[in-house]
Amino acid sequence: MNTHAMPHSADATTAEEALARQEVIDSSMATEVAMQNTLLTPRFYTTDFDEMDAIDVSGVRKDWDELIGRMKSDPNKGHFKKNADWDEIDWDGMEPKLKAEFIDFLISSCTAEFSGCVLYKEMKRRGKNADITTLFQLMARDEARHAGFINDALREAGIAVNLGFLTQAKKYTYFRPKFIYYATYLSEKIGYARYITIFRHLEAHPEQRFHPIFKWFREWCNDEFSHGEAFALLLKTDPKLTSGINKYWIKFFLTAVYSTMSVRDHQRPAFHAALGVDPTWYGQEVFRKTSEISRQVFPLTLDINHPRWQPNLDRMQAANAEISAARKAGGVGGWLRRQVASAKAAAAFVSLMTIPSIPNAVPETTRLVPAY
Amino acid sequence: MGLIFREKEIAPCTVRVSHCFDELSAHVKFDNGAVVHPGDTVLVQGPEIMAPYGEVVEERRTAIITRASRLEQLWTRATGDFEFMELCEFSFSEEVMS
Repeated sequence: MNTHAMPHSADATTAEEALARQEVIDSSMATEVAMQNTLLTPRFYTTDFDEMDAIDVSGVRKDWDELIGRMKSDPNKGHFKKNADWDEIDWDGMEPKLKAEFIDFLISSCTAEFSGCVLYKEMKRRGKNADITTLFQLMARDEARHAGFINDALREAGIAVNLGFLTQAKKYTYFRPKFIYYATYLSEKIGYARYITIFRHLEAHPEQRFHPIFKWFREWCNDEFSHGEAFALLLKTDPKLTSGINKYWIKFFLTAVYSTMSVRDHQRPAFHAALGVDPTWYGQEVFRKTSEISRQVFPLTLDINHPRWQPNLDRMQAANAEISAARKAGGVGGWLRRQVASAKAAAAFVSLMTIPSIPNAVPETTRLVPAY
Repeated sequence: MGLIFREKEIAPCTVRVSHCFDELSAHVKFDNGAVVHPGDTVLVQGPEIMAPYGEVVEERRTAIITRASRLEQLWTRATGDFEFMELCEFSFSEEVMS
């Protein structure tokens, strides 16, 4: 690895030049054709840093130090290496629809890891509380590593990520600290549930593993699991975060995350068919695992077996398909159709939100280990 | 900070891009200690920055920070929270099935 001294621009003044250089470096790779460029579009956040600095982990100190110690020891450091298990992939021979959906899957995964990295690094840089900045530093390390690993898989497919956003205007949005805890906790735990469910399925059906990256999902999701553990401890530091009005916020986050996942997964039929996974089954399985895990800290779980649950997820998905179709159609008619479909999606969401949740008595200690 | 009008300021910054197998990351750090607030926009001047594969690039640049007006800042604080879905691996990428 070379670090170029300033003021070099990586010896290339334009992205095209840099990409051209990449091609030379990669001459051993099968993809000699010009790489297709995909622009990463992460969001940029600020938060209330004083509030975040005020967190006091002394109430959970023992568990906290153990967890941070384990993350510092970096058990997965050597894991993200390509070895003999990394099979050759015939990208050109891949069925086009599957290829498009799989690449979309890799790009959104890469963007999510990358966005996490940007967010965590910002927290690390601007925070003053050593416990908190250490955690964010370690999480940023893991996310950057995951993003690099996915990036490599994308490069094999002839897709180069473009970091051009760096020199484009970036607007900083705002995220309340407690929402960072809920959203990050959930995204890490549901990430774990998603990866491990696919990993276990492919363990039982190796013939459906159409790309080697799935073999790395177990250790990968163990990183996600640890990150989630840290946020479970943070949520434990202040009982207000999981009581009173915040219960409704937790219900909102759970509903929003579960329903988005359901809609999104149904947009990748070829991807799921190739894995031999029914997206509806997969969704319920992931929700079940995530709900079970989240009982460590959330005072409620969603009733995913309620008679109104699945029908409204289906309605949201239909409304979403209608919104895309209307957007493509364009014009006044398209605009009208979009409004109607958006109203339908909103109604389905409200219906999901009004399903009574299942109360949960949170245990004294939150510590969990990956069990699936 | 104005209620309605935006103000611009210039800040020297360091951009670090890692385009390696074990780290894909990109960060902008203001060298004069400037901090951004909700609704502010940052534009790094100069050509696109892209590290060749396997390398880390660090560059000094100049950034223009456009400070959000008071109203914009309030708006961003009130609405920003709803963009959290971005953090989920199944979030919507910009190039869905294009």
